[in-house]
Amino acid sequence: MRDVPVIDASGLTRFAHRRHPLWWGIIGLVTIEMSVTANLIASYFYLAARAPAWPPQGVAPPDLLWASINVVLLLCSAFTMWWAGWGINRHSQSILTLGTGLSVLLASVVLVLRWINFTDLNVQWNDGAYGAIVWAITGFHFIHVASAIVGTAVVTLLSWRGYFTKQRQLGVVVDTLYWYFVAGIWIPFYLVLYWTPRLV
Amino acid sequence: MPPDASRDILYETWQSPPGFLGWFTHVNQRMIGKRFIITAFAFFLMAGVLGILMRVQLSFPQNDFLGPDLYNQIFTVHGTAMMFLFAIPVMEGFAIYLVPLMIGTRDMAFPRLNAFGYYVYLIGGVTFFASLLFGVAPDTGWFNYVPLAGKEYSPGLGVGIWTTMITFIEVSALTAAVELIVTILKLRAPGMALNRMPLFVWAALIMAFMIVFAMPSVIVSSSLLILDRVLDTHFFVASAGGEPLLWQHLFWFFGHPEVYIIFLPALGMISTIIPTFTQRPVFGYTALVLSLVATGFISFGLWVHHMFTTGLPHLGMSFFMAASTLIAIPSGVQIFCWIASLWGAKVSLKTPMLFIVGFFAVFVMGGLTGVMVASIPFDLQVHDTYFVVAHFHYVIIGGSVFPLIAGLYYWYPKVMGRMMSERLGWVSFWLIFLGVNITFFPMHELGLDGMPRRVYTYLSEMGWGPMNMVATAGAALLSAGFFVTLANALWSMKHGAPAGDNPWGAATLEWATTSPPQPYNHRNIPVVHSRTPVWDWRGRDERPVVGGLREDRRELLVTSVLDAEPMVVQVAPKPTPWPFVSAVVASLGFIGILIHPIFFVIGFFLVFFTYVGWFWPRRPWRED
Repeated sequence: MRDVPVIDASGLTRFAHRRHPLWWGIIGLVTIEMSVTANLIASYFYLAARAPAWPPQGVAPPDLLWASINVVLLLCSAFTMWWAGWGINRHSQSILTLGTGLSVLLASVVLVLRWINFTDLNVQWNDGAYGAIVWAITGFHFIHVASAIVGTAVVTLLSWRGYFTKQRQLGVVVDTLYWYFVAGIWIPFYLVLYWTPRLV
Repeated sequence: MPPDASRDILYETWQSPPGFLGWFTHVNQRMIGKRFIITAFAFFLMAGVLGILMRVQLSFPQNDFLGPDLYNQIFTVHGTAMMFLFAIPVMEGFAIYLVPLMIGTRDMAFPRLNAFGYYVYLIGGVTFFASLLFGVAPDTGWFNYVPLAGKEYSPGLGVGIWTTMITFIEVSALTAAVELIVTILKLRAPGMALNRMPLFVWAALIMAFMIVFAMPSVIVSSSLLILDRVLDTHFFVASAGGEPLLWQHLFWFFGHPEVYIIFLPALGMISTIIPTFTQRPVFGYTALVLSLVATGFISFGLWVHHMFTTGLPHLGMSFFMAASTLIAIPSGVQIFCWIASLWGAKVSLKTPMLFIVGFFAVFVMGGLTGVMVASIPFDLQVHDTYFVVAHFHYVIIGGSVFPLIAGLYYWYPKVMGRMMSERLGWVSFWLIFLGVNITFFPMHELGLDGMPRRVYTYLSEMGWGPMNMVATAGAALLSAGFFVTLANALWSMKHGAPAGDNPWGAATLEWATTSPPQPYNHRNIPVVHSRTPVWDWRGRDERPVVGGLREDRRELLVTSVLDAEPMVVQVAPKPTPWPFVSAVVASLGFIGILIHPIFFVIGFFLVFFTYVGWFWPRRPWRED
């Protein structure tokens, strides 16, 4: 049997980013992480529903101040990531480097603030089910911010060395996507951990 | 360029490096898929031997062949290995091998991730089995219930090995799932719209989606248990305000879909094999697809039926009883579609088809007892008895293993280029079919007589001796049946009749290339106009393909999700050792947690460094 070409692929771009399978792969990763998040939040409410008091008697809800500042810082870092991508779409490698670098910096501030203010949670991880789930969720997010930081630091480094161009920016696009997830997921965690014990 | 020269370049581009060191750099989907299948069958064999040991121990009352401790370890490893190390990986292995061939592409979307997933699975599985050799295997059952699995009642290494290795191995299941979803949605041959996709590909797609939504639950539950055991948290410790039932909810929210995760690909295999051996299209393609989707959805609403005896609110119980009965509807629709497909056709009863017929008998039996235990009053009576053991072995062996063996006989010629022996296949089928029924049918009666699960022995006054002896004899037949198939597979590698491209006269694209396929799968990416492309090309002297892909690097055609229209070209990576290195350091981190929590941090940074090496752009940077 003879093969007759009826479609010519030679003209199709080899530099896709939002249509590249890797973009879909990161969506898959984010979906998995969302499932983990849903499981953690469901566990939080399950434990809360079964407990006589939530938080337990004598335990104050986590302090609001630094956690709320972290919400703002993470949203800013998402904005600087967006700005970095905006820059490379206008052929500006310096905006890309600056934007991703700023995001890394802002998120690092978040980690430092979190680290020195763990006492704000007002409970220890081994104090019972409430402390355990609060620390597990906070720790889960801490690790994600840390991995987004180290990953984006590499993107910044490559950008500084001039690897990315308007055409060759798949790495930036998928890293930004993951960054949005890591920054955005703090909002439901923040509402659940910091506000439900106050409102319910 | 003459066609032969361009084919040689294509071969060179896609070839996997030879040699021992080269083995660690392979990324081609067929290499990885074959490894998954072979490794999973090796674990199947080992877990099967454990099953035989259990049957020997139970063959007569107060046997002292295995002590209680060893028996507990053996039934835990048997169950865990069959579910996590055999059933899921073998289905994923078939999907990884077959899906790219069936949708007419050259590889999967993330070849290196595929290799990474395999090494994670291999290392995790071997560690898990090795724990049995050192006498420190987990001994709390495959669902590892707390408080028994908590630190207080299981202080040793065993449960720690279960929690860390299960979390680790599920990483591999998740990578394969994302891989399959993206490959199926984005790399189909032009013209293969969703409504022309082979049914096995549909089944693999839905299985992958189910893995994405189900596996995180077991990862969360086992991570929380690791925290309880290593960092003294109290998620599951009732005396400190924890909730043992949270474990059951999280575990079964994964555990029930899990049953369908291993069942759906088997259904896909049946829907693929029946049209081939009747030589006409399957009846009710749309109904079959919708049933697969419906099964996927409903299976997430059933988990509580494993917990009927834990004292739940009545409303909840009624809901889950209804949902459990509901799942019989899509299963029934499929059975009727297959009956209609077979009705009045000239069915060729080759070995694959024989196993499909066996599936009908054994699975319907398990389905009927399933409807029985879905009813709460009955379930309360037989919960934790051998009736349940009988039920799920009928369902899993009938529903998954029979179609799987059918699939093995069906696709072996494609993978190996040679046919398996029909005569040995026939012998194997009858041994397995009789073996399954003789082993597991008496267990229904044993359960109704009150014999509990998980006991290592029983008193002769109970009167359970004779039927246990029958079950053990059946297990011997059953294992003989599997050994015949194993021998057949090994013998046919050298001595089987040469298969040719399409020995069964099948309609799907994996049969449109050589057996075994070349490193590049298809010489040219085909263009598809129907559900049965290979039958379309019968008697024609030309077929439509895609031109314009480069031969000197690994190029894949990316198409649109719904209608598979060409969009862009993806350049796939070359062979690399990084996935292997990454998997090794990741397992260091995971296994290290058993010794000290600091290994989590060490593992985190080591994996990060290997990822940088993995993704670092190689000079010269591409300019086209």
